[in-house]
Amino acid sequence: MILQGKRVALPPEPVVHRQFEAHVAANPDAVAVVHAGRRVTYAELDARANRFARFLVARGHGRGAKVGVCLDYTPDLLVAILGTLKAGAAYVPFDPAYPAARLRLLLGQVPGLALIVTSPATAGMVESADVETVDLEQLAGHLADLPATAPDADVTGDDVCYAVFTSGSTGTPKLTAVRHEGWFNLMNWLRLEYGLHSGSHHLVVSAFGFDLSQRALMTPLFCGATQYLLASRNFDAMMAYRVLTEHDIRVVHCASSTLYVLVDWETARGGDALTRLDYVLFGGEALKAERLTDWARREGNSCTLLHQYGVAECTDVATSYDLAGHDPGRPDAPPVGRPAYNTDIHLVDEDLRHVAPGEQGEICIAGAGVGAGYLNAGPENRRFTTLEAGGEQVRVYRTGDRGRVTDAGDLVVLGRIDAQVKVRGMRIDPTDVERALARLDGVREAAVVVTYTDAGEAELTAFLVPAGGDLAEDDVRARLLRDLPRTMVPARFLTIARLPLSPHGKVDRAALAAARVERYAGSGTS
Amino acid sequence: MTAESVRAIWCREFKRDDISVDDDFFALGGQSLVMVRIQGAYIEELGVEVPMDQMFLHPTVAAISAYIESQAATTAP
Repeated sequence: MILQGKRVALPPEPVVHRQFEAHVAANPDAVAVVHAGRRVTYAELDARANRFARFLVARGHGRGAKVGVCLDYTPDLLVAILGTLKAGAAYVPFDPAYPAARLRLLLGQVPGLALIVTSPATAGMVESADVETVDLEQLAGHLADLPATAPDADVTGDDVCYAVFTSGSTGTPKLTAVRHEGWFNLMNWLRLEYGLHSGSHHLVVSAFGFDLSQRALMTPLFCGATQYLLASRNFDAMMAYRVLTEHDIRVVHCASSTLYVLVDWETARGGDALTRLDYVLFGGEALKAERLTDWARREGNSCTLLHQYGVAECTDVATSYDLAGHDPGRPDAPPVGRPAYNTDIHLVDEDLRHVAPGEQGEICIAGAGVGAGYLNAGPENRRFTTLEAGGEQVRVYRTGDRGRVTDAGDLVVLGRIDAQVKVRGMRIDPTDVERALARLDGVREAAVVVTYTDAGEAELTAFLVPAGGDLAEDDVRARLLRDLPRTMVPARFLTIARLPLSPHGKVDRAALAAARVERYAGSGTS
Repeated sequence: MTAESVRAIWCREFKRDDISVDDDFFALGGQSLVMVRIQGAYIEELGVEVPMDQMFLHPTVAAISAYIESQAATTAP
């Protein structure tokens, strides 16, 4: 079974910042970014990005270099991103909401990291003996002396534009790289398919480390529209809703769980700002369509919900579905729809042979969005492979997701082939969490499994074997929060005398997950 | 005053009654969904808008109550 996306020609060199530069030339005084009441025009943003690009090139961090960016959502963030691209380099986002210990661990995973861009608010979080940090605010005086024109940097569609961390299965986060061609193709598809234009203003509501945030940040600049940034390090529903109410925002990209929060906020307070949007593009986790039904049916609701599917390894989005076509009364999962332009979905069996229409198979993604692979996890790159289709060898990425195609021709995602889990839209490797737990004093061994709340939401439960003495849940959690992002910190901790083992001598996660657990059970349970 | 109202909101949202004014929100297992509900409750029940970043910076009942009172003091007519 193959689902083919429409073929739409790209420019000879599909380079993302060229599209931004075309808007700069056509409409220099248009507003590119609004942040805390301050407006930055396309021309101003371009000039600042050009100067930063020149700084990078002069330092030898041009084509092929990797530049870390650890900044809050400010105009400087876009200066750093665009400047990095203009230098021919790729950026790696570091979310300043992460604990410093986690950021240090991630920093160590970027091979050949040239430098990391910070602000006075983030500088202390990513200090490293191995990597130079550059404070963009302190650099302002120096940059002002550089020419405001772009440096001469050869960039092709095959160059890497950004790389984001995603969970592995080995306890180490994987850094997956995306190419200009894929990113250009993604945003060009959104622009043409959904008619995004210079009035399609965006508000960013997702955390900087996510792949979807890269798209949310760049799409308005790709379309000549205005990007609104919240003056908040953490997602703030109250502030987001106010910006939606007070400004002419047309498009929001977010994880499903963030959409529920925004819908609940609007429903509880009786506003209509969300219903007046043109589009919400969302996905990243199994959708609970019933959470949206009442809101979606509100009279006058003109917002189109696009339920999307994709993986970071293949430039974020591969398919999209207008949720209006789904009857929430049906028991089957809402579809994720049809492929993006220049993107194909192959459903295959374990021998990489295509399954028959209607049958389940592993979802493989082919086409423009297939990325450049993992930069720090060589063996894991075996997921990027080739398969035969129509007598030709096609490069694909094996997602590990199971899917099938409906009679109507829409892809439905059914689950995972392996044990990978998502909590609130973030892919999580339980062994990554187990490692952090095992490093804590007082913990001899730890196992982390996925359990489900009464509402059906995935969460993590940790089973701890104490190294003698008592382990207080609140204390373990507080210590873990110094090392891990909040999403990775288990919702509950249970102590257990020893971990059950399978006949192969591995920790029996299924037995643990099946164990009936009481939320605030103390020690000695199982 | 404020601290008692804030504590009552936390106890309701965490569904437990043993929260002290010095307990850390995140150590209690607080997640973003609970935070959003508490943020809403501050608006509806206390009449104050507390940015999420301030809730992260002041993660105990005592600290956020002091913040709320300082805001009330600066915005009072």
